Amino acid sequence: MIAYAIRRVLLMVPLLFAVATVTFFLMHSVEGGPFDTDKPMSEAARERLNEKYNLDGSLVEQYGHFMANTAKLDLGISISSNERPVRDIIQEKFGVSLQLGICAFLFAITLGVTLGAISAINQNGIGDYVGVFMATSGAALPSFILAPLLVIFFALKLNWFDVLGWELWNYKKMVLPSVAMGMLPGAFIARIARASMLDILRQDYIRTARAKGVKEFTVILRHAVKNALIPVLTILGPIFAGLITGSFIIENAFAIPGLGNAFVGSVLVRDYGVIMGVTLFYAGIIALMNLIVDLLYAVADPRIRL
Amino acid sequence: MASDTTILQPFDFTKDHLANKQQGLWEMAFRRLIRNRLAFIAAIILVIITAVSIAGQFIPAVERHSATFQQYQVVNTGPNSEYWLGTDNLGRDLWARLLYGTLFSLKIGVGTQIVVLIVGITIGMGAALGGKISDTILMWITDLAYAFPDLLAIILLRQVLFGRDWPIIGTGDPQIPGFPSAILGTILAISLVSWVTIARLVRGQMLSIKEQDYVLAARAIGASPWRVVRAHMLPNTLSTVIVAVTFGIPLAIFAEGALGFIGLGVPSPFTSLGALMGDGYANLFVNNWQVVWPAIMVATLMLCFTFLGDGLRDALDPRTRK
Repeated sequence: MIAYAIRRVLLMVPLLFAVATVTFFLMHSVEGGPFDTDKPMSEAARERLNEKYNLDGSLVEQYGHFMANTAKLDLGISISSNERPVRDIIQEKFGVSLQLGICAFLFAITLGVTLGAISAINQNGIGDYVGVFMATSGAALPSFILAPLLVIFFALKLNWFDVLGWELWNYKKMVLPSVAMGMLPGAFIARIARASMLDILRQDYIRTARAKGVKEFTVILRHAVKNALIPVLTILGPIFAGLITGSFIIENAFAIPGLGNAFVGSVLVRDYGVIMGVTLFYAGIIALMNLIVDLLYAVADPRIRL
Repeated sequence: MASDTTILQPFDFTKDHLANKQQGLWEMAFRRLIRNRLAFIAAIILVIITAVSIAGQFIPAVERHSATFQQYQVVNTGPNSEYWLGTDNLGRDLWARLLYGTLFSLKIGVGTQIVVLIVGITIGMGAALGGKISDTILMWITDLAYAFPDLLAIILLRQVLFGRDWPIIGTGDPQIPGFPSAILGTILAISLVSWVTIARLVRGQMLSIKEQDYVLAARAIGASPWRVVRAHMLPNTLSTVIVAVTFGIPLAIFAEGALGFIGLGVPSPFTSLGALMGDGYANLFVNNWQVVWPAIMVATLMLCFTFLGDGLRDALDPRTRK
């Protein structure tokens, strides 16, 4: 398994290299540059600026220069935010995105597994209909729809939560963004959990457990839910990666100073260093999450050998 | 005995027994789809929404007020008898704008899937049937496209594609009727990210169909490779692809909505559901209705396409056939 993990990590290097290459040429083909202003800028000043940020020379030269620096894990300095190193910006902003992502993730898992388990236990009963209805309607409510509706109802009408911002351990600022972001993946998890739970409940070992007199609660929790989670596990990786890398919308809606917001801002002002840094960083996270899921899968199900 | 006589009765060749029983795959699928109540209702709602939004473009009585006409004396009103859904911050009628935006979003949803189909099927087929080297290269490209975070790539591509001087259609306004370059940029940005799913699906299907006995039989009786692909392999991947496309439309509408919501939607005077959401959210404290209507519309569209997709999958999947 260790050999497998090492091989996968090594394979990530050419992939990230390719991602960096594509992104580099894509972002340089966006029209306009970082120093475009309303007022005309003198040629001399523009030349000095280009020289300072290594934007002089041909595109291929810039590319070589950038790649050499990236290989040394130096992502350069941000053009738009007072020459801060891109690495610092990513570190700071990603902290916020990560908190938001983890909260949304926890909400999604709790909602999904609970709904799925309740639906499966009461198959074709009232609990099932309520669960399936919630899972289905949740699947039609992406974050950018849910966010305004939640804000109107819970923040403006009921005044329970704040409209904007993010602060760790302040529930007034944490609940709405997490719920808005976690609903869609939660509904998705619920569907998978229900199907897999229904399958597990018909297995022989569940009957055996009941036959030998194990309490129903223990049967459900220890025998059924635990095994039903294996299919859920495989989708958790992509969902988690999606949540921490896809927070653009929610960060924008709630004015949360996270990495997604920073990326959108940097695209608008052509801050090449940040665009590049964030893309590479996110691509790396996604690749890493996929690897972790594959490894976890092997741990959870001993029949799978890597 | 009576039973003997029935057995001994000669087979009536004048009656076409086979023709009576035979039902095509599509006919059977269509019947199952109609019997699926949820999918049927979803399809009807989708048809109505599409019809009304198209009618809004051509029939003034449906549109009621111009979607772009600004009336400064009726800014930010709530729903009333004159402006059914209220007006926005520039006094434009929200009903007209909702119809216009819905049609725009539907165009983006369908247009995206057309590009996705072309790219996805070409690459998927090329990988499955083109031999080892072509498979390796094409799947490597697919993996690369998959490695990009979706929204991030869409945002970047959108910036690359917008306001560009295209070879045939130029920079600006409608060169293809009904598809101004504002739509084309969005469509291309979204489809260049989402073709991956179809490509993988088609490749997987083709690889498994290639080994089926009926393909072997067709080749054995001397069918040309092109005929095998066209008459046997493509139709058999079609059902999976149709289902994927049905699920792809709401995903594209979702992606466009997300772009519009963060302010990267289609530029004014065009509007889409996403752009309406973005405008409405900016005016949240003044007029709640402005964001509620497009939100309801997007949710309805996504729900209907999801139900229709579920229904189509059940109808087309032979394993659930009774």
